[in-house]
Amino acid sequence: MNAVTAGVTPWTVAKWMLALAIAVVALFPIWWMINVVFALPGEPVSLNPRLWPTSLSAGFDKIHMIFAETGYLRAYAISLLYAVLTIAGVLLFGSLAAFEFSLFDFPGRKALFAVVMLSLMVPTAVTVIPTYLLTARIGWLNSMQGLVVPGLASAFGLFMLVQFMRAIPKDMIEAARLDGASHFQIYWHVALPLCRNAMVTLAILTFMQTWGNYMWPLIVATKPEMYTVGQVVGLFNSPLSHHTVDTVMTANLLAAIPPLLFFLIFQRKIVEGIAMSGSKG
Amino acid sequence: MSLRRHLPHYLMIAPFMILFAVFFLYPILSGFYYSFHDWNGAKPPEFVGLQNYEKILASRDFSRAMGNLLIYIAITVPLGILVALGLALLVDSFTGRWANFFRNAYFMPVVLPAFLAATIWRWIYAPNLGLLNVILGWFGAGSVNFLNDTGTMMYALIAVDVWVSAGFNMVILLAGLKNIPTELYEAARLDGANKWQQIVHVTVPMLAPVLFFVFTYGLISAMQVFDKPWLLTGSSFTSYGGRRNALLFPVMDMMGRAFGGVKFGEAAAYGFLLTLAIIAITAAMFLLRSWRERR
Repeated sequence: MNAVTAGVTPWTVAKWMLALAIAVVALFPIWWMINVVFALPGEPVSLNPRLWPTSLSAGFDKIHMIFAETGYLRAYAISLLYAVLTIAGVLLFGSLAAFEFSLFDFPGRKALFAVVMLSLMVPTAVTVIPTYLLTARIGWLNSMQGLVVPGLASAFGLFMLVQFMRAIPKDMIEAARLDGASHFQIYWHVALPLCRNAMVTLAILTFMQTWGNYMWPLIVATKPEMYTVGQVVGLFNSPLSHHTVDTVMTANLLAAIPPLLFFLIFQRKIVEGIAMSGSKG
Repeated sequence: MSLRRHLPHYLMIAPFMILFAVFFLYPILSGFYYSFHDWNGAKPPEFVGLQNYEKILASRDFSRAMGNLLIYIAITVPLGILVALGLALLVDSFTGRWANFFRNAYFMPVVLPAFLAATIWRWIYAPNLGLLNVILGWFGAGSVNFLNDTGTMMYALIAVDVWVSAGFNMVILLAGLKNIPTELYEAARLDGANKWQQIVHVTVPMLAPVLFFVFTYGLISAMQVFDKPWLLTGSSFTSYGGRRNALLFPVMDMMGRAFGGVKFGEAAAYGFLLTLAIIAITAAMFLLRSWRERR
């Protein structure tokens, strides 16, 4: 067989073609959504493959129209608040507990930690209905606390932070104690700064998960005033909605923008976080 | 005295542990209690023994949902992992900027909220004017109503599922590939192994623990599939599962019984049945693995 020029074998060509073709399959639906939004109204009545955006101003008009004329802006605010409060709670409560479980010994430590870790194996399917019933009984349906609080004790978050805090040298804790730092000060000034990376990764993963959570808001926030982005997008896409394709796609795109932006900014952290949860699980 | 010494520790874990007890342990126990009661949320629960469980096991929706689930996991889990492994090997064969580019491109669908993946694909699958039908039209094929034709619905769901999950599993497998020492490949090459043989005899055995994790995790999440079929079929609590229940899955059935039929006892029992099935399958996987390792 003849050698083709400088290392370019049929194998490399095939590999590149394959890699690019798969990239098209992975990205085109997202690209297509953008193209439908940024096109003149009336144009996207047929769903023909749109390969590029044709009108930027038309796209912004649609976005403006959706924000001005539907409950989308409120849903956006609710979803953001839901995500931010969940992140704050998961990080705070998780790191407080992880600090103790990973660096200290006290009666019951092993048993308590084991119970929390066992819960990682319990499927959501079995907890979602009783948790809903409890939330309803304490009168938290259609409230922010009803959305946020039941999800704050994240066993996954605790697991992840414990993995990181275990690496903190015990000498550093002892040194801080000899300097007269209180227990809480050691947590705040020594342990937290040392696991900042893990905290950021956990925050990003929690954001993705909360923003994309569909099932819990669907049952807890049933009043339109409490709808999250997921539910509003569901309304736009429901078979009974009277919206045109480009309006629906605008609603979809708006829901996609925060996580896509997050990914473009934090791609390394996100990928590492997921790889880590896999290799250590 | 000792309690006083340990008090700071308990204070620090208290917020987490209290939330955990209230919103995780208590719901599980109360769910177990409800599963033996007839309860619509208003009148006091009435003890009915195992009736809820018997009712579910005898219902046609349950067998339909379980049948669908079996077909679904039998295809989507192995296929998803095969695709993810292929993607990981492909990305791993590039270096530098291009490796990053392809990895990020393949990962992009994971970043979207799952509800969004389903709604975008609903439009791609639309009859006549949907993207997929337009492309099929170029080849002279007639329009297919992918999400309303009982012969295609399951595969339409699986395609979306693989589109979303492949990137996720790829990232985990890529991390595993990086941990395989290059000497092993060199040794295999010296022994005259070609690329394919290297994959079969070096990569896959070395990746086995990661593959096992990805497989088990994928299986457990696939058994609880909800968002995607729910949205692809345009379901609501009064009508769900799509045409002839072709996309009815256990968690959908459970949610429907709770919020459509207002039978919370039955729904709680459903959750426990599903959990039993998940535990049984996971345990079987672990047993299989330890049996294979012992051989």
